Formats: sequence, structure tokens, C-alpha cells
Amino acid sequence: MISFDHVTKRYGGFTALDGVSFEARPGRVTGFLGPNGAGKSTAMRVAAGLTPATSGRATVLGRPYGTLPNPGRHVGMLLDASAQHAGRTGREVLTLGAILTGVDRRRVEETLDLVGLTEKEAGRRVRNYSLGMRQRLGIAHALLADPEVLVLDEPANGLDPAGIRWMRDLLRGYAARGGTVLLSSHLLNEIERVADDIVVIGHGRIVAGGTTRELLAGSGTTVRSADDARLRSALGTAGLSASPLAAGGLLVDATPEVVGAVALEAAVVLRELRSGDGRGLEEMFFDLTADAAREEVAA
Amino acid sequence: MTTTTDAPTTAAPGGVRLPAPIEGERPTRGVPFTRLLRVELRKMFDTRAGRWLVIGIGVVVAGALGILLVRDGGDRPFEEYLQATTMPMAVLLPVVGILAVTSEWSQRTALATFTLEPRRARVAWAKTLAALVVAAGAVLCAFGLAALAHAAAIGLRGATGDWEIGSTVLLGAAGYVLLFLLQGVAFGMLLRNTPAAVVAFFVLPTAWSILGTLVSQVRTASEWLDLNRTMEPLFVGSISGEQWAQLGTSVAAWVVLPLAVGMWLTSRVEVK
Repeated sequence: MISFDHVTKRYGGFTALDGVSFEARPGRVTGFLGPNGAGKSTAMRVAAGLTPATSGRATVLGRPYGTLPNPGRHVGMLLDASAQHAGRTGREVLTLGAILTGVDRRRVEETLDLVGLTEKEAGRRVRNYSLGMRQRLGIAHALLADPEVLVLDEPANGLDPAGIRWMRDLLRGYAARGGTVLLSSHLLNEIERVADDIVVIGHGRIVAGGTTRELLAGSGTTVRSADDARLRSALGTAGLSASPLAAGGLLVDATPEVVGAVALEAAVVLRELRSGDGRGLEEMFFDLTADAAREEVAA
Repeated sequence: MTTTTDAPTTAAPGGVRLPAPIEGERPTRGVPFTRLLRVELRKMFDTRAGRWLVIGIGVVVAGALGILLVRDGGDRPFEEYLQATTMPMAVLLPVVGILAVTSEWSQRTALATFTLEPRRARVAWAKTLAALVVAAGAVLCAFGLAALAHAAAIGLRGATGDWEIGSTVLLGAAGYVLLFLLQGVAFGMLLRNTPAAVVAFFVLPTAWSILGTLVSQVRTASEWLDLNRTMEPLFVGSISGEQWAQLGTSVAAWVVLPLAVGMWLTSRVEVK
């Protein structure tokens, strides 16, 4: 479990994180989606206690990261695959982690094997690693001490398609076993294939969040009423399928006009009635990305 | 891997193996300091740079001892042999201390280091203590090698031999290695950048010494604050109370203060 509670981080006049609140729950893969520079890495560093928040707080397993005893045994972190000493071998990097967290040294070989680094590759110095190999080493480092929470920043970068698929299955399996997984990416299609929940961040602000199904539904009608339960049963009677939204309200597989007519007949007061989730996730994300791209060009 | 330890790994969708769970409760106690110390010691020498520095020191020491043994039939006092072994260590080991700290930032391993032990002051202390352990080992090595070489000069080359050495000289030799290594660690923590720390470490004290001899206005200050100068009485063999005070002051200024400020910074700066 990771939870952000109104986390704000300012650098001088620049606001990197602006009141960020969300949760990554156990047994689920939470995708942290946003264009480059949106604040994903900053948020993850705040969760790890590496970057102090200006206000608000982030907790991991219910407590501030800094107070976790032997945190490596609780949380596996991969914040940057390139942040390893170029002059150390891959095996040595894991050995240091094993000594520090106090896990059996045999786990070093097991984990290397698990992420697909061969005996020979493990003996090479990190400077000679490709980005994909660094990612695998970083994932191995995160998994080394059998944590219950995984935090991975852009773990798919540099992996080949087979590697991406492997990682997807690994994370899904990890969550299925009860682990909490938070991974970031700037690619929507990468996140939507692995995540149960998606949190979208842009310009340091959370702009959307919910289950992947809900967010990707796009079409249909979002409706909020004074009595969702009654409206839902009325919709059911009319032969329309409606599913409750996490943030309250219903998502109905019909046009707003039809939903409005059912509500009128059932005499339920509507509070909100609109097509889809406003805009589709993809469209919204595209707008965010385009914004960021424009800024990069301007800079 | 063909070992039997594969058994407990669980299968995930797509046939991907998951890491085996570790049996037993998750720890409720922090990482013991001895483990941190062990890891920091290991980190000093497990990189290519660390290994080459040790090899380099070995080569320089061997060369210096070789020259002493060959020239004039090796007929020199033990003190000179000791100088030949401690000097290279005093000059080169601080680089190990600097790198132990600055590489965390330049190679960005601080991300991993401080997520595995978020109590950063403990990591800083582990590094400091590791430097002390290395210095103590180096001093023992230097003394042993010097004695061995001197004995060899007497036994093999027929040198007269002169084992006499003042206790303050021994203290001074050990102090050089120890203090400079600590100063290296301190400068590393203060600057967190390898080139800056190396340059500052080698240039600043020397520049200050030169300034102290050239400019009369800073002469008194340099008597109290120039480590090169305040160490001298130890090697002369007699050191007065005031000179002890001067030595103490200069150590406080060049080693203790930068270390204290460096540790404070380590605990506060953002790790990126």
C-alpha cells in the first residue's frame, strides 16, 4: 500500500507536484501515467523519502518511508536503472544489497537468473551493460529481498518487446500474490495492458484516476444522481447495463438522452449527466503530451 | 541455474517465474550498524577505481622501498623506511575516502543506498568509520612493511641499522594517514562532486601553507590553522602544550568541521 496525501513539492517558483493524492493498493498493479516532466519521478522520490515534500505526506505500508525498519525487505525500488556504479559488476550490486538487507546470498544468483541475466553478464561491469540489461539488474535489485511493495520508475525503457512482455507478466503475478505494484510510464498503451488502476498526472497535478476499465470505457454516459441505487435498478429494468464508478455515479452503456429519459420516468433527481468520461483517456492524455511537447520545443 | 532452490518460485501468467518468498516474518528492526559498516568497507574496494588505487599505492610503496634498499646498501634509519611506506598511503588513500562519498552522487548510487537505509546519518557514520578502519589497516601495513624492509637491509645487505624512533614520530606517521583519509571523506561529503573534492583536497591546504609563509598578516593564523605546519613538531620529536593546542585547532578546522558540515548536508540534500 502506498498513499499520497495532498503532496506538494515546489522548487523555488516551480511547482513540481501540486496537491497529489492517490493510493496504490495491495493485490493490484497501479499505473502512474504522465508525459515526461509531469512529476512522476519526483512523486516516487517523495514516496522513498529521497525528496522532502513541501507539504502533504506520502506513506508506504502506512508509515513514512524513512521509518520502515530495513526498508529493502518491505519495499523494492527501481527509481533509475542508470543510477548504478559503472565500475561495479551486476553481481556485486546485488551482493551489496543482499548483505545490507540480510537476505541469503544464494538469492543473488536466483534473482539474476530470474531476470534473465546470465552468469557471464552478471560478472561484467555495469558500464558495459545496455539499458535493457540495466533495467533487468534494477528489477533484480528491487525484487532481491522479497518486498511486498514494488515501485518502478519507467521499468520498460530499453527493454525489447519480449522483455516488456516478461515484465508485464512478472508484475501481474506479483500483484496476484498480494503485492502492491506502482509503476510509471509515459506510454498509455504500455500502462493499459498491465495496470488494474491508472493514475494520470500532468503538470504535477492528478488529472484522472480510476480502474483501467473505467478510464478506458470512454463511450457511454456518466451519470450522477440523488439515488444511484434506484437509478441503477431502473436502468436495469430498461435493459441497460450500468456499472458504479469508483468516485460515485454510474457509467451507463447508452446515450445521455436515453439515460435522462429513464431517470425522468423513475423520478430520480440527476446531478450530472454527460457523455462518456468527458473525453476519452487517450484524448486527454494526448492533450497532456502535446502540451509537454510544445513546452519542450519552446525551451 | 540448475539448483534445487528453483522449486519455491511460483508461476505467474505467461509462465513467468516469480521470486521465491522469503520464509518468516518481515523484519521489524532496522539494519544493524555493523552491516552498514561492512557494506561501506566493501564498496570502497569493489569498483574498478578502488581496486586500481590500492594497486597504485602498492606499486609506489614497493618502488620507494626498493630504491631505499638498493641505494647506499640500504643503510638508512628505520625512520626513513617508515616515511617511504606511510607517505604514499597518506597521499593516495584520501582519494579512496573521497570516492567512497562522491561516487554515491556522481554515479547516483545514493538513490539505492538511501532507499535501503533512509537514516542517512548512519550511512555517513558508516563511511567515516570504514575510512578509520582502512586507515588503521594501512598504518599497520606501513609499519610492518617498513620494519620488514629495514630488517632485510640489515640481514641481507649488511646495513648497520638504526631502529631508534621517537614515539611522537610514530604518532605523526599514523596521524598523517588517518587524518588525511578522514579529511578526504569530509571534503567528499562537503562537495559531493569527485573533481571538486579531489582538487580542493590537494590544492587548498597547500595554497594555505604557501600563503602562510609568504604573507606576514596570516602567519599567526597559519600557526594555528595550517595542518602541514602544526604536524611538524611531531616529527621533530618534541611538542609543547601550545603546539598540541595548535595541532588540535588545525585538525578541528580541516577535518572535524568539514566532516560535521558534510554530515549535516548529507542528511538534508535532495537525492536525485
